[in-house]
Amino acid sequence: MARPPRWVGALVPLLLVAVWEIAARRGDAPEYLPAPSVILAELGALVASGDLFVHAAASLYRALGAFAIGAVTGAAVGLAAGTLRAVERFYEPIISLTYPVPKIAALPIVFAWFGLGDVSKIVIITISVFYPIYIAAFFGAKGTSRVHVWAARNMGAGRWQIFRRIVLPSALPQLFNGLRVGLALSFIVMVVAELVASQRGLGYLIAFSEEQTRFDIMYAAILTIGVLGFAADRVLLAVRRRALKGQLLATAEAR
Amino acid sequence: MTGAAPAAGAVIAVRNLGKTFTRDGRRVEAMRGFDLKIAEGEFVTVVGPSGCGKSTFLHMVGGFEPVTEGELLVDGRKVRGPGPDRGVVFQEFALFPWRTVAENVTWALEIAGRPRAERDAVAERLLAKVGLTQFRQHYPAELSGGMKQRVAIARTLAFDPRILLMDEPFGALDAQNRELMQEDLQVLWNETRKTVLFITHDIDEAIYLADRVVVFTARPGRVKADVRIDLPRPRAIEIKKSTAYTAYRNRIWDLLRDEVLLARREEG
Repeated sequence: MARPPRWVGALVPLLLVAVWEIAARRGDAPEYLPAPSVILAELGALVASGDLFVHAAASLYRALGAFAIGAVTGAAVGLAAGTLRAVERFYEPIISLTYPVPKIAALPIVFAWFGLGDVSKIVIITISVFYPIYIAAFFGAKGTSRVHVWAARNMGAGRWQIFRRIVLPSALPQLFNGLRVGLALSFIVMVVAELVASQRGLGYLIAFSEEQTRFDIMYAAILTIGVLGFAADRVLLAVRRRALKGQLLATAEAR
Repeated sequence: MTGAAPAAGAVIAVRNLGKTFTRDGRRVEAMRGFDLKIAEGEFVTVVGPSGCGKSTFLHMVGGFEPVTEGELLVDGRKVRGPGPDRGVVFQEFALFPWRTVAENVTWALEIAGRPRAERDAVAERLLAKVGLTQFRQHYPAELSGGMKQRVAIARTLAFDPRILLMDEPFGALDAQNRELMQEDLQVLWNETRKTVLFITHDIDEAIYLADRVVVFTARPGRVKADVRIDLPRPRAIEIKKSTAYTAYRNRIWDLLRDEVLLARREEG
């Protein structure tokens, strides 16, 4: 049987959008479901006025800034814990205890500490993002092949060289899985934090449109979040493909 | 049966060596008090039933596993850890999958901070020697098992160790490739005459390559016999059909048979 062409996959979503559009135009759709064309028009207006860029920039600054901090700290602490017993013994109980706690529950405390500005949002996103990246880095480092370490020691590598040239690349495939989870999480927590308290950002735009019962703006904001998240994920995947070039050849991904 | 001529000024000297480790809370005696001496430039192969501790012995000489009883000297000094004087070739190849073939081969030189030009020259020379020049930019995952092991051997030769420790290096290869690799290794060794400790479970391989074949007992492993192989060098692969070779083969198999049966009974 011949493989169906790629556009077949888009058929069902397109059909749904078409039904939605027709229903909304005929007035059969509820108020909270404005026609896709209306949403796109509003999106165009937000782009034209420049408002969308202001909000998107504020959101991206918080999400990606916090993601970067969380990625560096999570990877550093996770790799250290996966390499050194003493660090593992210190961090593992703390992580086990605090990981299941929803970080967003700490939002009022963080607001009280750091105020309602960017800092508190970056703090809460950083904390949320830290965990999956820490865990990926920890197990990635733990999974380093013993025989690779032996080969490196045989060739005269010291502890730091083994860490940088053996443990780090060995942990990288796992680490990228953690980064991917963390990146998505940074967008999610960003929106929640902005919904609670902010004067700018895509989350703020959603809260604002709810007050004004402007559902077209709300959908435009959600659509923007989705597109930005998608783009960020694609960039991460491209970086991953380059970084794991040799390692992916041995996996099912190579085919 | 035991005791080939003890070589004066042995490169590797083992006295009353034993090894005990704990597995799942149980003490396991892997090796029990044996002596062994390997002279400069000697090619010694070790055969023994599976689980007899022959690989553990190599890991101890390599400095990866601590000595728990007796004494293990390399160049008259106690082994305290791994070092580039003893180049190890692992059964699992142990190539770094994130580096290309050439980058694997020059890893030790890079660690030592040697200049790019020197590294390139070494990679070129050694890859030519193992016949993998066209594969220098490939990743290990793109190579066959035999090619991977040739890269691993080149990587070890790159830092020019005095002693080669080879842990069933051809164990993962198919029969044809194994025979070709044995021939290549023999040619290579004739050029360099490095001291080699070579672990294998293949009697043919052990005889073909060795100056001496050391037979290990079942666990706890120790030296059961030390057979000097007086076959002329360089050895063509056809030597495996000669009567002298067959006699060695029968003798070593006789020595090994009881141990294999013993090991089998313990496993069952």
